[in-house]
Amino acid sequence: MNLIVFTKRVPATQEEELRITGEGKAVDLSKVPFKVNDWDNYSVEEAVRIVEKTGGAVTAVSIGDAESDEVLRRAIAMGAKDGFLIETGDVLHDPGARATLIQNFLKKESVPFDAIFTGVQSEDDQFGAVGGILAAKLGLPFVSMVISIDAFESDHVIARRELEGGLQERVKVILPCVISIQTGINEPRYVSIMGVRKASKVERKVFKAADYQENMVSKIEAVKWVYPPKKGGATILSGELEGACKELLGILKEKGVYQ
Amino acid sequence: MSYALVVAEVRRGVFEERNLDAIGLCALMEKDISLLVTDNNNEMNQNPPSSPFGKEGLGGFSGEKLVNTIIKVKIEEALFLNPLNMVGVVKTMMDSKGKPDVIVFTHSSSGTELASYVAGYFDLPLITDVNGFDKERDVFFKSYYSDKIFGEFRKAAQGPFVITVRSGSFKEYAVEKTTPPVIETIEDFPIAEGRNFMEYVEEEKAEIDITKAEFLLSVGRGIGNKDEIPDYEKLADLLKATLSGSRPVIDKMWLPKARQVGTSGKTVKPKVYLAMGISGAFQHIAGMKDSDCIIAVNKDPEAPIFQYAHFGIIADIHKVRDKLLEVLKG
Amino acid sequence: MTQTQQTQTRVLTCIQCGKCTGSCPEAGRTPFNIRMLMRKKQFQSVVEESIPWYCTSCGACTLRCPRDVKPSEVIIEMRSALVENGAIPVAIQKALENTFVQKNPWGRSRAKRGAWFEKLDIEVLHVSETESKRLLFTCCIQAYDPRCMVIPQNVAKILNKGGIEFGVLGEEEACCGNEIRRIGEVGLFDELKEENKTNFEEYGIQEIIALSPHCMNALKKEYGDLGIKIVHYTEVLAAMIKEGSIIPKGSFNKKVIYHDPCFLGKQNGIFDEPRSILNTIEGLEPLEFSRSRDNSMCCEGGGGRMFFEVEATYQRNAEVRVKEAVDKGAEVIATSCPFCVMTLEDPATEKGIAVKELSEILMEVL
Ligand SMILES: Cc1cc2nc3c(=O)[nH]c(=O)nc-3n(C[C@H](O)[C@H](O)[C@H](O)COP(=O)(O)OP(=O)(O)OC[C@H]3O[C@@H](n4cnc5c(N)ncnc54)[C@H](O)[C@@H]3O)c2cc1C
Ligand SMILES: Cc1cc2nc3c(=O)[nH]c(=O)nc-3n(C[C@H](O)[C@H](O)[C@H](O)COP(=O)(O)OP(=O)(O)OC[C@H]3O[C@@H](n4cnc5c(N)ncnc54)[C@H](O)[C@@H]3O)c2cc1C
Ligand code: SF4
Ligand code: SF4
Repeated sequence: MNLIVFTKRVPATQEEELRITGEGKAVDLSKVPFKVNDWDNYSVEEAVRIVEKTGGAVTAVSIGDAESDEVLRRAIAMGAKDGFLIETGDVLHDPGARATLIQNFLKKESVPFDAIFTGVQSEDDQFGAVGGILAAKLGLPFVSMVISIDAFESDHVIARRELEGGLQERVKVILPCVISIQTGINEPRYVSIMGVRKASKVERKVFKAADYQENMVSKIEAVKWVYPPKKGGATILSGELEGACKELLGILKEKGVYQ
Repeated sequence: MSYALVVAEVRRGVFEERNLDAIGLCALMEKDISLLVTDNNNEMNQNPPSSPFGKEGLGGFSGEKLVNTIIKVKIEEALFLNPLNMVGVVKTMMDSKGKPDVIVFTHSSSGTELASYVAGYFDLPLITDVNGFDKERDVFFKSYYSDKIFGEFRKAAQGPFVITVRSGSFKEYAVEKTTPPVIETIEDFPIAEGRNFMEYVEEEKAEIDITKAEFLLSVGRGIGNKDEIPDYEKLADLLKATLSGSRPVIDKMWLPKARQVGTSGKTVKPKVYLAMGISGAFQHIAGMKDSDCIIAVNKDPEAPIFQYAHFGIIADIHKVRDKLLEVLKG
Repeated sequence: MTQTQQTQTRVLTCIQCGKCTGSCPEAGRTPFNIRMLMRKKQFQSVVEESIPWYCTSCGACTLRCPRDVKPSEVIIEMRSALVENGAIPVAIQKALENTFVQKNPWGRSRAKRGAWFEKLDIEVLHVSETESKRLLFTCCIQAYDPRCMVIPQNVAKILNKGGIEFGVLGEEEACCGNEIRRIGEVGLFDELKEENKTNFEEYGIQEIIALSPHCMNALKKEYGDLGIKIVHYTEVLAAMIKEGSIIPKGSFNKKVIYHDPCFLGKQNGIFDEPRSILNTIEGLEPLEFSRSRDNSMCCEGGGGRMFFEVEATYQRNAEVRVKEAVDKGAEVIATSCPFCVMTLEDPATEKGIAVKELSEILMEVL
């Protein structure tokens, strides 16, 4: 099996207080450390585990600036054979534009594959869309929120998708296809610093995004960045116990965890 | 005719409540709303509900009136919720009815899967996880960086566009129309070969993994003693939550080690983390602070957990438990 | 000879006397037997993957071994092999990944590393702005855990009061790497070390007051020759009291039992300074554990055990320790390591006895 895995370098913003600059023009990430997108970590691990069984190779691809090489080295340390960087300094907010770029790249470089793996979403944009758009553009079957790959055969995959409320759906998908991986599908191995250093010795190919921009137009416009409405501490459900409990159940319903 | 198309998610015969948020956004956009839904009376469906809004309807009001048109699709639900078939359904529908202004899905497992595929297939603009809309400026709000920042987005191309809507965001805007909906039907469209539904799988109880649970009921030293555990188990059962705990509860062997949340236990990120009798020590917080929604019940208003919680109840946890049991049973 | 070869040579000299196991806090009640591991290492036979993670890096074995086998270092090498394989417990993995990204094992924002001094009523300078180039080095847990944040705050106030100038690195400070090295992540330890060393050089640091015994140990013994004087804060405070630059005026009428942290006591020989501080406090009645000083019982907070708990359910040493304190009639357990505070406090809460870090007691009487 030849598997292509997309992996993205994202800012680790979970712990940070983010600042918007230039009256909504940008978000200041200058002091924020970067890391591999959590979903992609699982997706690289899954792809590597599959080729360990079926044979073949994993190629990791990242779109971003030169720094994104870091996530390629990491993927190689985990077991990918190659790393391709599609280099661009631009932030592509539109997942459609990103998918077009990938489509052009795969076609122009005629990269062979049996399946394409992406994460369900990236931690920063949270669009959850590149995999689906790409699949549709390539005219390939698509399956997302994959929490288990039960079988990976020469012509098809049996996958389990995570639905809501503990329910899962088992589907059979014909190869080649696009698979978007959900976190928790496996326990990704630890990648040591020494491992990454060793992986640096494997050459990564760099491509210029500018060469693959045919038809790549952004169909959505990022107008402005704003802060969400401030939630100052916990909202206390007060009053009579029965009322508070009913309110609590209402919240559970709203969050979709209780019907 | 200008209209908004809402693709309804009906799962195992139940019309999901989050569809109302999709309908609500369209109402807020002042669109004529067409609801695309699997035909419930289709003999292929395993659990045909009595109304398009689920077996019991929704909270007593007639949901049909929330939309102008209901387009019933003669197809099994699992085929309908398959992105490969959805593009065929949408195409057939557009051929007969014309292109909608906007196609709206729920931001759920299937909603995002369908939306991205439809957007890619028809080459349409896509904005996902929309949780707000400013009508005057015609911008949609979308979460970035786990809700730390919102991006304001606008479509930048002609023709229809695709949206997924965060649940709980627009429900209140869904209001009843004065006239009953027009019912239409679609039946002839291609069924794709590339992906096939096999079966639904319920998560097995034996392999409970608190890191995968969507809803955790977590108990702390505040529960007092082991004899209280069965009642919390009962509560978790009724709420369909998974029981977890802080370290002292595990130490005393009131719950197994695999249920421990925290630095030396498991790091969890459920949709809802309901903490009862947990103070919120650093080691505990580290394991659950990234949960989407944290609800804390503690008798001490100064307990650090309230600094991290979104909602809180200051009360005796046993009383809250008993009241919840009563409400749930009654 | 490579390090691995050196280790193997040392291991071959082991005479299986069992002194290591005899002093090991994990021996007997867990499946971990350090003497047996040395035997297995001699024969290069397979060791079950979960076993090396029991070690708390207390250093007792290395201290006792008559053949200088350094069993605690052998464990680190065993862990290294597991780390390079990627097959390590998830909690340990999280701590390492956090340290890689945020430079602290808790994964808290590096930008907030200086939060502890932001609300202090004294001015805390960046070390580059000081004349003495004396650096107060905080432990990650002191920088982020509200329970332990009081330690740097107290020490800063006391130093200030006694007229000792100091500065901090704030968000430029990275984890010292003491635990990271013991977890076996050699590459990451080197990165942290280089990053800190670069800062020490850039700002011309002359002296480092480490607030945690763990940091002191790494800086002193594992950063190579820095040409910088490195001390634990209790050494500085003991000297200040002796010189009279700070005078504990108040009294503390309680029976206080002192717990020796492994990295301060048995691994670095600092037994007397903390005690001398306690002894100068009026009304304070000092007590000793039956196992104290270099025979002190490990609280099990070291060697990565702050981030990871072993599967077996057995009584924690911290519990044994607290029980003895109660039996001896102590009202307060005093210690001078943030990890010891954390491990002891949980069972102490159950038994209704207080755990105080030395600086907390001192603050009450100054
Ligand atoms: C190395 C190490 C690792 C650790 N790892 C973890 C870990 O992974 N996970 C973890 O959880 N902890 C961990 N801890 C322990 C942690 O420091 C705390 O001690 C622990 O989290 C406290 O648990 P708790 O909140 O249940 O108990 P407490 O702190 O005792 O809090 C109990 C709470 O219950 C409330 N309460 C009591 N009775 C009632 C009532 N009737 N009604 C309402 N409220 C009530 C009280 O107000 C209080 O806030 C670790 C500690 C160490 C040293
Ligand atoms: C890992 C290991 C495995 C071993 N396995 C085996 C085995 O399987 N089978 C076996 O037969 N042997 C075995 N031995 C060796 C065996 O244990 C020793 O040979 C035995 O204990 C005798 O020791 P020793 O003569 O060296 O006495 P020492 O170690 O010198 O002394 C032992 C004690 O004898 C007393 N003593 C000695 N000399 C005097 C004296 N002059 N006056 C008064 N008291 C004195 C002292 O009390 C002293 O403490 C093993 C040893 C080791 C280290
Ligand atoms: S360092 Fe301590 S815990 Fe580890 S093997 Fe040696 S004595 Fe045992
Ligand atoms: S103390 Fe040293 S010589 Fe004795 S058994 Fe342990 S490692 Fe071997």
